[in-house]
Amino acid sequence: MSELPEAGPWHRRDTDAIPTRYRHANPEPLDGDFVGDRGRVFGLAVRTGILTVLTLGIYRFWMKTRLRRFYWSAVRFGGVPAEYLGDPLEKLLGFLFAVVILAFYIGVVNLVLMFLSFSLFQDNFAAYLLSFVGVVPLWFYARYRARRYVLARTRWRGIRFGLEPGAWGYAWRAIGYWFLTIISAGLLWPLMTFQLEKYRTNRTWYGDCQLTQEGRWTLLFPALRHVLLAVLIAVGSVFVGLNGTPLAFGVTALCVPWFAYGLAYYRAKSFERLTNGKRAGDVVFLSKPRPMRVFGIYGFGLALSGFVASFFLVPLGLALVAVLGAMLGFEDEAAMSFDLMTSGSLTVIGILSYFTFFLSWAALTHTFVTLPLWAHFTETLTVVDPGSLEAIRQRPRDEFDEAEGFAEALDVGAGI
Amino acid sequence: MSGIIPTVPHEALRGVYFDAQSAVAQDVRLVVDSGAQQLVLRGEAVDVAWRFEDIRLVPDQAGQGGLVLRSASDPEARLLTAHRELAEAFPARRRRVIGVERGRIACWALAAVASVALIVFVLVPTMANQLARFIPPEGEKALGDATLTQIRGALGDNSQSGIRLCTGHEGTKAFAALATKLSANVALPVPVTVTVLDHRMVNAFALPGGHIVFMRGLLEAADRPEEVAAVFAHEMGHVASRDPTRHALRSAGSIGVLGLLFGDFAGGALVLFLTEQLIEAQYSQGAESDADVFAYEVLAEAGIPPSALGSMFERFKATSGAAKGITAHFLSHPSLAERIEAARAATPEGFVAKPILSDAQWSALKAICGPSR
Ligand SMILES: [Zn+2]
Repeated sequence: MSELPEAGPWHRRDTDAIPTRYRHANPEPLDGDFVGDRGRVFGLAVRTGILTVLTLGIYRFWMKTRLRRFYWSAVRFGGVPAEYLGDPLEKLLGFLFAVVILAFYIGVVNLVLMFLSFSLFQDNFAAYLLSFVGVVPLWFYARYRARRYVLARTRWRGIRFGLEPGAWGYAWRAIGYWFLTIISAGLLWPLMTFQLEKYRTNRTWYGDCQLTQEGRWTLLFPALRHVLLAVLIAVGSVFVGLNGTPLAFGVTALCVPWFAYGLAYYRAKSFERLTNGKRAGDVVFLSKPRPMRVFGIYGFGLALSGFVASFFLVPLGLALVAVLGAMLGFEDEAAMSFDLMTSGSLTVIGILSYFTFFLSWAALTHTFVTLPLWAHFTETLTVVDPGSLEAIRQRPRDEFDEAEGFAEALDVGAGI
Repeated sequence: MSGIIPTVPHEALRGVYFDAQSAVAQDVRLVVDSGAQQLVLRGEAVDVAWRFEDIRLVPDQAGQGGLVLRSASDPEARLLTAHRELAEAFPARRRRVIGVERGRIACWALAAVASVALIVFVLVPTMANQLARFIPPEGEKALGDATLTQIRGALGDNSQSGIRLCTGHEGTKAFAALATKLSANVALPVPVTVTVLDHRMVNAFALPGGHIVFMRGLLEAADRPEEVAAVFAHEMGHVASRDPTRHALRSAGSIGVLGLLFGDFAGGALVLFLTEQLIEAQYSQGAESDADVFAYEVLAEAGIPPSALGSMFERFKATSGAAKGITAHFLSHPSLAERIEAARAATPEGFVAKPILSDAQWSALKAICGPSR
């Protein structure tokens, strides 16, 4: 990031999201750096994954903690690593707490819904629908709570981050903006991205310094252009193709990877513009991720992980075929000799192959998707003006016993 | 990388200290005091001594170029240094710093297990029992239809609509005659619908809404029409007490809870499957013997000795003793011998038996799934 020594950081940005009033005369930028390497994250993911399987899932709280410690410590600004201080036992505690609440909800509410649905509509569709709708606000609630927990356990230069309470406010807003996004056929997606990010950012603290999100949602609109163009041209080409020009379907096929690129582009560009519009007091940031690189990481990483992990499904498939074959032939007396030994070892092969598939998928996506993405977003981010960073003081610890229990129980993918 | 961790000659050990009060990075000199067994940190506004035995490595660090250290005596402060060789001096460097009290975890774990058990084994069954009494007949019928579709789908491996129904014309008529004779003097909450599934399993079961389902295997294994009638009467007992309805409502409530507990990672799916099997298992012993008692009366009314139920149990036990995969709920019951005995005892002295089906009807019933194979 130092190829323009004379120009100063302001010439490197291509956005005016950072208001000029925060410019300092001679800021000394803190460059982002990522020091984690693939081999170590692969090893860590495999080891903790095996322990998770062996403990029937209990170790997953330790797995998550250790992986986060690793990722956080790999992120450095001005050479100082971040630190993750979550405690696995506190996660287990929060999970148990959430299980108690949710078990009641899922057990009793689902039962009543099933009863009402069959009594009133002679069908269970209404029950499934209502049961799903009932979980949606809880899902966003859990996401916000998980973020609060993770920020409260993150430190940099010894100072904690924090997120103010406000999970229900977040849940209702998220539902509202999702609704707008859906009825506008995705056109208002940037509105949702921006408003939700603003809600979270404006409640985020670094020590005693509150962060703010500046700018307007229309700032993100250009980030959507590849998605929109790909969809429009795909629809147009299908229309032309149906009207007697089959060649146009070739264009439709090309729109699929273009759309995928559009998603990566949106991810990179929206991150860039939102980050450049953030401020912590007089501390400002500059992010310049490359959409093509993000697309490449996703495309290559997911394809490679899927390809390699699927090898481990082959034994499972063979075992299934063998068991099915034996079951179909069961009516013949001869097939009764399909004894317990064979079926037992086939079951073991099947289970092992199922586990190794999940393990290798998780470890490979860490190695080839998550880690490179983190590295790219960190390395292209600079604290362009540390401002009065040194004047920031510590904030009190957010005890937050529940940790990310709800997110864990509802399986809300809260990053890693 | 613009490292804040300086690399300087060995004699002057340097580091960066964060006191966890302010974000200032304080440059410190490190003095290894082997005599007092402590590490002294000195900087412009820092004068701290950490005992060797208190010093810990912050675990799972990605950076391998230096050390991130903390002290058990001051768990918040951090020292960053490039001198990796220092670590050798700290004997307890890999010990962890305890954050959460173990006692509270144990309490929560117990509370969670207890309340989940309470929900799955007490609250949900109790509510299911109550609700089963209030579900209107159409609703119950729909529940049964849905369950039957599920079962057909699960048993039929690859066909679109699931396993085939047996609808042989004469056989259906014979079954109807059997049903009419048996239910002549019985008041059931819902009318009975008989279904025969084309499957080799020796089994029969009742579903919500008055469905009584026979598998082809049971009809083939039966020797006399009285044995089929005995099974039928037993299932009528389940219909009368609405056992299947309660069962279906209960599993609707408890399956989700178990999915929640075990999470979705690799282990989850399998553990979930096994636990569901356990919960699904059987009706209670009480429900089974109630259905038996109900069957004695129905059979006696129809002129069949109640001991037919007992002989059926015995026969099925004998014919299927070797074969695995036969999971008729009659056979897996622990007190089968008692039930056989009870069926004998329920037959009065000098009982006069009447044939329930003619020979022609009986062979039509056995061939309901088409020519025997
Ligand atoms: Zn029974």
